[in-house]
Amino acid sequence: MTDAARKVNVTIVGGGTAGWMTAAALAKLLPTRCAVHLVESEAIGIVGVGEATLPHIRAFNERLGIPEAEFMAATRATFKLGIDFENWARIGDSYIHPFGTFGRGAGEPDFHHYWLRLRQAGHDVPDLENYSLACMMARLGRFDLPAADPAELASTFGYAYQFDATLFAPYLRRLAEGLGVRRTEGRIVGVDRDGGTGDVTALTLDSGERIGGDLFVDGSGFVSLLLGRALGEPFQDWSRWLPNDRATAMPCRTATALTPYTGVIAMESGWRWRIPLQHRTGNGYVYPSAFLSDDKAAEALIAAVEGEPIAEPRVLKFKAGRRERSWVHNVVGVGLASGFLEPLESTSIYLIQAAITLLLELFPDGPDTPLLRDEFNRLIDLEYDRIRDFLILHYHATERTDSDFWNYVRTMDVPDTLKEKMELFRRRGRVMKYREGVFLDASWIAVYLGQRVIPEGHDMRADAPPADALLKAMATFRAEVRATAEAMPDHLGRIASYCPMAA
Amino acid sequence: MTVTAPPIGRVLVAGGGIVGWSAAAALRKRIPALAVTVVPLPPPEDALADRIQSCLPPIINFHDDLGLTEADTVVRAGSGFRLGTAFEGWTMGRSAYVHAYGEHGRPFGTASFHQHWVRAALAGEAEAFNAYSPAAALARAGRFTHPAGPPGTPLAGFAFGLTLTPTRYHHLMRAFALHLGSVEREGAIARVRLAGESGCIEAVEMADGTALEADLFVDATGPRALLRSALGLRLEDWGRWLPCDRFTMAEGPADAGEPPLLDTAAAEPAGWRWRSASPLLATEGRLFSAAHAGAAEGVPLRQGRVAQPWLKNCVAIGDAAVRVEPLEWTNLHLAHSGIDRLVAMMPARDFNPVELWDYNRQAATEADRVRDFLALHYLASERPDPFWREAAAAEPPPSLAHTLALFRARGRLPFYEEETFGRDAWLAVLLGQGVMPRASDPLIDVVPPRDSAAAMAALRSGIAGLVPGVPSHAATLQTLSRQAAR
Repeated sequence: MTDAARKVNVTIVGGGTAGWMTAAALAKLLPTRCAVHLVESEAIGIVGVGEATLPHIRAFNERLGIPEAEFMAATRATFKLGIDFENWARIGDSYIHPFGTFGRGAGEPDFHHYWLRLRQAGHDVPDLENYSLACMMARLGRFDLPAADPAELASTFGYAYQFDATLFAPYLRRLAEGLGVRRTEGRIVGVDRDGGTGDVTALTLDSGERIGGDLFVDGSGFVSLLLGRALGEPFQDWSRWLPNDRATAMPCRTATALTPYTGVIAMESGWRWRIPLQHRTGNGYVYPSAFLSDDKAAEALIAAVEGEPIAEPRVLKFKAGRRERSWVHNVVGVGLASGFLEPLESTSIYLIQAAITLLLELFPDGPDTPLLRDEFNRLIDLEYDRIRDFLILHYHATERTDSDFWNYVRTMDVPDTLKEKMELFRRRGRVMKYREGVFLDASWIAVYLGQRVIPEGHDMRADAPPADALLKAMATFRAEVRATAEAMPDHLGRIASYCPMAA
Repeated sequence: MTVTAPPIGRVLVAGGGIVGWSAAAALRKRIPALAVTVVPLPPPEDALADRIQSCLPPIINFHDDLGLTEADTVVRAGSGFRLGTAFEGWTMGRSAYVHAYGEHGRPFGTASFHQHWVRAALAGEAEAFNAYSPAAALARAGRFTHPAGPPGTPLAGFAFGLTLTPTRYHHLMRAFALHLGSVEREGAIARVRLAGESGCIEAVEMADGTALEADLFVDATGPRALLRSALGLRLEDWGRWLPCDRFTMAEGPADAGEPPLLDTAAAEPAGWRWRSASPLLATEGRLFSAAHAGAAEGVPLRQGRVAQPWLKNCVAIGDAAVRVEPLEWTNLHLAHSGIDRLVAMMPARDFNPVELWDYNRQAATEADRVRDFLALHYLASERPDPFWREAAAAEPPPSLAHTLALFRARGRLPFYEEETFGRDAWLAVLLGQGVMPRASDPLIDVVPPRDSAAAMAALRSGIAGLVPGVPSHAATLQTLSRQAAR
């Protein structure tokens, strides 16, 4: 079973985040099943523009045995407790989508129903984020690692990283090459397919070298060299709901405090990111070319950023949607080659990770391969589709009328799956419940309320405690949240003691 | 802007069995603003959720939510504990297996426990899968204690259910619901009156001529669904996969001595029979296909679920919503789950279609996966009788076919929403009935088989070392009884 002869030869196209994450994971976790060969061209850049991630990345790193502090220092990373959304429902609004719960996150019904009950009865209770430790830490600029004991308030949040993606791929490359991954430098000029099965059999490089393989991973980015170009897998276009198709990016020196959260600021047409790293702040404006020209976008970005620009604005083009199938014949698309969703909720690396996790679990094996492939496609489609609805919600649930862009997204027809979810929340604050899926209840609650989708009612179980006792308990909890956050170190101080980048 | 509809104020529960009173108690306890009236129609003999004494582990949570303690639900109600079911004769040529509750082994290295087991079994070197279940070991030894200990220790991760003495439990639940302020309104229902325009139920007319009005009507009247059927209903029939269509049940006093911790479900030529016992009451029952058994005795049972348990202002709970044989004891569990869902999703008086749709969606998903789990017992059977050969040859529902295909390939269990039975339960039955993956998960290649074997031996000895120190079932019940008397 562990014969080299029986090993699957995996050829990975692309040496960006998707390619090297896949290479490292396969080499580390399936060393007896596969031999990994990665083809990349240094002439083709990495799209990475400073990445904000989701907490799931920690499980990936842990599985690969990557030490956190070393990784953070190497990628000049900061901690991320969530995202601050500014100006989304109305200009002047700000809400945090936290990686953590509201209340203690235990018990039925969910905490926000008690809060809704008091609000609906006319009590003057402060915004829901005052009852979330993750939100409070973010607002106060504090950070410490979460507690392991679920009884402690300090266990009610998770965290992710904001890091320099152009440094992550090289970090993984060192790891992967140490695990025996072969790397070939070259540009792919030809793709051979088997006339009978349609499988990809070999790649031809500009040097004339041919590289074969049993399984091909397409980590080539937007160009989707194998899945899109060679196999012609159709692209499901979602731009009628997510019309943004450009981003202009421009890093700056950090001028303000190092926030333990990503900033996402709604603009006239689209939105702007602000991702603080240890050595600089990533900035970019995501916009639809149908509503805004590249020049106007660059102008607006330059006017908006804090701190001195380090580079000229650089424009990226994309389209929202996914390939009908991500695994076709013997080609598995990972990352942008299989689909693109704008980085509004930092899902790019998560989607890479989801594909890798599924590939590991459903690694092809003889006659069962079609079954495993179908399961892969079923599950990855579910990930894309649910994230899609979550992103559309941010645009559609707005009251802004100040530009053609906001008028369009506010009034557009949205997928039925989202209509149902919004209607359920609007009625009595209920979140459609899933066991699977990247964004859980607290995320949906934060975004619904932050986007001013205000429920008419609440879960009737929240009416059980007497109002004065409830008010008192909520005030006590709020004070505990604040005191717990205030007792934590400041974000920059925590980084300095834990994972400072090399000088 | 929509005008907020007024809240539901009055609820009428039809049905005076365990299900009806449990619904009334939960509604009053969790939503005190509701006025709850119960019309205590005696449950008919085919209302299995009101009659079956064996209950799954989540009944403990149902009691916790109500604020009921074991002093009530076990000591005073005459219940016993249970740790699973012994299945005999479902696959001839294989030994009996136990579906015991809670964890079977613990994950180590790079994969879940069962992958290590599958690899060892494929190499011919595995003990029975339930050798790794603390609940199975306790049950075999006749010992019971509550799960306890730090996570990861052998007695921390098992689960248990209850074996009820239904008359006593019914008495408890009725008294509790009345104590919480439910109102009992005796009498027979003569007619269900519908409102002309909306088609909603307007009132239930009693035999004495009075009319009981309410905002919401909860139908807990058993399979006849006295209220819900007035609005018209369609049954999704499960007969293709669950071929038993009649049952008999006989009750008698329990034997003195240690109450059993396992029920028995033994296959017979045209169906199966069960035996269960609380400390006070023993039940024997038989399920069979009338055609194959050549017998027309017993109570008819048409298995399936109501397509829309909640329509307009009437929601069906328990057997009124899902009719299913007692295999794996899901009857009262599905009723509790419906009650919990009703409490959690209580809409306003306009009965918004989206809210009802979501209720029905969850209920259907849950019921269909229960159907899959039960159908698995038949599809994975191996017996020579025509009844069983036909059952095993049936084409599985797509969701079960999907589960079986992935499991047979490499032991993978796909996730489904609203699962009643967790991974360990699926594994206990799949592996217990001899459904084996063709290969183990490639992810465990990096753990040498030697290391797996050592870890598995440590798990077995960990369980074996702790079991003798656990008191007998009867001794634990006596201790609880003394504590309750204090």
